[in-house]
Amino acid sequence: MSPTPTLRIAWPPPDLVAGAPVVFEELFTRYGGYVARLAARMLGAGDAEVDDVVQDVFWLASRRLPHIVDMIQARGWLATVTTRVVRRRLRRRQFRRLFHASPHRLEVEAPGATAEQRALLARLYQVLDGLPTDHRLAWSLRYLEGEPLDAVAAACGCSLATAKRRVSAAKKVIDEVFGDE
Amino acid sequence: MSDQRWTVLGEKVEPDWAPERKWAVRAAIARRVTRHRVVVRTAMAVASAGAIAVGGLALVTWRSVGPATPELSSDRQTAPRAPIAVESGRGRESDGKSENTKVTVTELTPGTVLAPLPDRGGRGFTLRAGAARFSVPHDAGHPFMVAAGDVTIEDLGTTFTVRYVAVNQLNIAVEEGRVRVRAGDTDTEVSAGSSLQVPVSEVAEAPRRRQRPAGMVASSWRPLAERGQYEEAQKALRKAGPSAVRDDTADLLLAADAARLSGHPAEAVPYLERVLHGHARDPRAGLAAFTLGRVLLDELGRPSEAVDAFALARSSGGPLAEDALAREVEAASRAGDVTRSRELALLYQRLYPNGRRAKAVSRFGRVD
Repeated sequence: MSPTPTLRIAWPPPDLVAGAPVVFEELFTRYGGYVARLAARMLGAGDAEVDDVVQDVFWLASRRLPHIVDMIQARGWLATVTTRVVRRRLRRRQFRRLFHASPHRLEVEAPGATAEQRALLARLYQVLDGLPTDHRLAWSLRYLEGEPLDAVAAACGCSLATAKRRVSAAKKVIDEVFGDE
Repeated sequence: MSDQRWTVLGEKVEPDWAPERKWAVRAAIARRVTRHRVVVRTAMAVASAGAIAVGGLALVTWRSVGPATPELSSDRQTAPRAPIAVESGRGRESDGKSENTKVTVTELTPGTVLAPLPDRGGRGFTLRAGAARFSVPHDAGHPFMVAAGDVTIEDLGTTFTVRYVAVNQLNIAVEEGRVRVRAGDTDTEVSAGSSLQVPVSEVAEAPRRRQRPAGMVASSWRPLAERGQYEEAQKALRKAGPSAVRDDTADLLLAADAARLSGHPAEAVPYLERVLHGHARDPRAGLAAFTLGRVLLDELGRPSEAVDAFALARSSGGPLAEDALAREVEAASRAGDVTRSRELALLYQRLYPNGRRAKAVSRFGRVD
């Protein structure tokens, strides 16, 4: 039996108190940037789409505020919700692509990247576009966001074993494409 | 390629979470929350109206197929039938001490609402709905009485039925003996075999409006706004009046947020202007000017004034300067000032050659 994934408290900021009530404004101010970054890395998309994801995530948060335990747990909760929202968007994008209604090239916001890195990112997201959505999300969380596997499992809403399997399947494809670089 | 390299590459994907972008998303969420509340309220109102309509229809249908209503008549040949619905009704005896004093009350419909009158020793009832049959031995010392709305029926030794035939119509049918019906100021005696239909209205009760206890003040707008409950904050603010906002930058900005994020952008303008006029040296004055520009341009459609507000925000410098200049180009363009928008666009290109808003600036400034 696979162990139950637990939410990782990767970065407990010193000013947060466990069990303190969650206030929406504080939640948005503190984690807005985090959600935007997470969405950008998983989606590989530009401003507008990322903003839409942030809006969706915090709209849901505003309605589920009483269910969020405290500001420390909120980060994991937001990661899970962001992953779900991004998954929905990626699936919609895949569906639209069947009808050639989705742009093939998406601009990734990578302000500090060199030209070479930008090119590599563009190719990476092309490869990720060809992967199953769940595999893509698990790999992005593991390698682009640098989350440990238990946090990946929690964010993807699956068991640790499933998360490992998804990451490994995506990694195999990516290693094949970029192996000799 | 090593796994570490992907993480390094991933770190390069970093959206510019600038204050303006943050506010735009925040405002969009606030608008969505407001829209959602309106939808929920409308749905609830429609559902309530539907339930009332269905209930009313059911009541009308039930009355139209209910037991036959005795006609208003004093002819013994057409005397009302004895209530056949007794079988389905519940009987009660208010006093069983002796046969001579026994009062028999039969509820004739399932919807009958009957309550004993206090202090009458079982010789008085209030009929609120439906129909009931009363069989009462006369007792001059203790007259039996039925109250239905503002109509009272007093027995003079009888068996009679009282029935609501409509919400505002009462029918009294007498089988034996006589009753006295008091409707308003008129007393009418109805004898055996006769019936009487009279208008009835609810006994007026003073409306019980919850009064605010003396000394209790309306809840403060400030904590509501801080919690993001802008609609409630704006209501509280209106109730409290302009003096409820302190003359300091934080309070004025919060009041402006409550106004614009609750969908009343015009009411945000005076607060923001107060910051600009009274606290121009405050580091947040640039933010106030920028917000004012956005409200004027995006919400109120006053681009000429927005140009000045953005110019002020730009002159404050800081991280907003680039966005302020870009929005100034847009505002000038929308105001029809082509020369100025072009000049500003050229300035933007010179100051921020790789600016985030270069594309929009080129479009509004008409420069390639």
